[in-house]
Amino acid sequence: MRDAFFEALAELARHDERVWALTGDLGINLFDPIEQAAPGRVLNVGIAEQNLVGVAAGLAYAGRLPFAYSIAPFVTSRPHDQVRVDVAMANAPVTLVGVGGGLAYGYLGPTHHAIEDLGIMRALPNMTVLAPADPAEVRRATRAAFAADGPVYLRLGKNGEPDVLPGDASFVLGRATRLRDGDDVTLVSTGAILGHVVAAADLLAARGVAATVLHYGTLKPFDAEAVVAAAARTGAVVTVEEHSIIGGLGSATAEALAEAGAGAPVRRVGVPDAFVSAVGSQEHLLAHLGLDADGIVATTLALLRERRPTRSLR
Amino acid sequence: MSALSAQRAEAARRTVLDAALAAGTCHIGSALSIVDVLAVLYADVLPRAGAEPHRFLLSKGHAATALYATLAAAGVMDAGEVVAGYCADGGHLAGHPERGVPGVEMTGGSLGHGPAIAVGTALADRHAAAGRRTFCLVGDGELNEGSVWEAIALAGHLGLGDLTLVVDANGLQGLGPTADVVDLEPLLPKLSSFGWDAREVGGHDHDALASALGAPGSDRPVAVVARTTKGHGISFMENELMWHYKSLKAADRPRIEAELAAREGVA
Repeated sequence: MRDAFFEALAELARHDERVWALTGDLGINLFDPIEQAAPGRVLNVGIAEQNLVGVAAGLAYAGRLPFAYSIAPFVTSRPHDQVRVDVAMANAPVTLVGVGGGLAYGYLGPTHHAIEDLGIMRALPNMTVLAPADPAEVRRATRAAFAADGPVYLRLGKNGEPDVLPGDASFVLGRATRLRDGDDVTLVSTGAILGHVVAAADLLAARGVAATVLHYGTLKPFDAEAVVAAAARTGAVVTVEEHSIIGGLGSATAEALAEAGAGAPVRRVGVPDAFVSAVGSQEHLLAHLGLDADGIVATTLALLRERRPTRSLR
Repeated sequence: MSALSAQRAEAARRTVLDAALAAGTCHIGSALSIVDVLAVLYADVLPRAGAEPHRFLLSKGHAATALYATLAAAGVMDAGEVVAGYCADGGHLAGHPERGVPGVEMTGGSLGHGPAIAVGTALADRHAAAGRRTFCLVGDGELNEGSVWEAIALAGHLGLGDLTLVVDANGLQGLGPTADVVDLEPLLPKLSSFGWDAREVGGHDHDALASALGAPGSDRPVAVVARTTKGHGISFMENELMWHYKSLKAADRPRIEAELAAREGVA
């Protein structure tokens, strides 16, 4: 996802003089193609995230379209006041790019995990929140961020993820993407965890459970209609996110369903309300937290048994 | 002294006090501290013939009335509307300035934000060879914010000659003299050591301000340390910390009017 972002940004910078790329001293060699495409419009501000966001805001006030890049917590939590006041309150067209969303930096520990970023950014007025699922969608989301009128948070995973969405998938800002149709349960996903969600849907299908899979590449504005319709069809909803169960996709889903009076039970698969102090790779931590395909299947089956105890599940 | 800046400063001082009297709000001393700096900037420094004016960012947003009053004196706002709309229920001017209000380039109120934004606008203008300068005004207490020094370090490193930081050095902050809270003096060698062209000037001396503010740096950003008096112009407010917090009451109007009349008599 990271390389896809840099390729897309270099392309945008080559064709639009307003595009600037800023970093807080991260991304070794990754900015070189942008510097070649857009001489003088790449700046490393140093290890100074407040400055990163403030300088980006100033560029935006002067009519430029800056992309400010850092590790996800260091562009959302660390400079949060600059994000809130200089970017969100001013409705400035700054794209804040957070690499390592969720548990992508597994071994590096909880300072580098981003498990609150979606909730923090979602709560900010004017902020658009994008969490694409795979490299191809990152390219589309980067172009959508460029075209947006106001501030955007773009959450990236790591590098080398496989493409999960179909090749012809479109990216419409504010619209969920339906990958599977099934009547038994709705699996709702956001960001790079989608591969595990699709794998879970396959495992469920093998057990006779047909899942609808909805992917939210845009978490805010939230496509309430899509999940309300899917919940009406399936009667049960499981949200899956590489994020705290508080404030992110699970919260947005529950809010939408409750307000619509959908009546479908919801289970939130995510990071419980605790920092992840367990040590391990992203895959290890996802399995540890029940966020891998097996964990998603287990939560889904438990919900369905609770919901329809008479139904036989293989 | 520019007759225009002097006349505008007196008009702005009156608007600041009228607005403070009408709204019953605080931060009067902070606003009076920078009335002269703003008068000189808006009368003599920011305007450019045949081009957009230079940029001004008020980082110490709690001095909002000084900005509104200066914009009114410059014809961007109406002074009567400032008095009626400032911190009034249903009014249009908040206690801290918000980007989007005509003439207001940044949202102030959370301290330490302006310098980084100013680096951003100065970078954009330098890249476009726009010849446009950015001025950013911070308080001396605001220099406690680490984010200010992040921006100072970067601007010095980049040699942003079209960036000017004005420090409203009135020597007082929230809980006491800046020297007693976190003493950052001597400021000039500190700023110089960060690669800035540091200048010191009397903050109520219009000629000196115009001279210090008027000349951009060649290859270094400019820091103008303006030695000001908190509450300047109203004798019972001058250097009185409590006028950071106190509000004026209707009963104060006669003594305010007397001081303003005396000032206007000599102006």
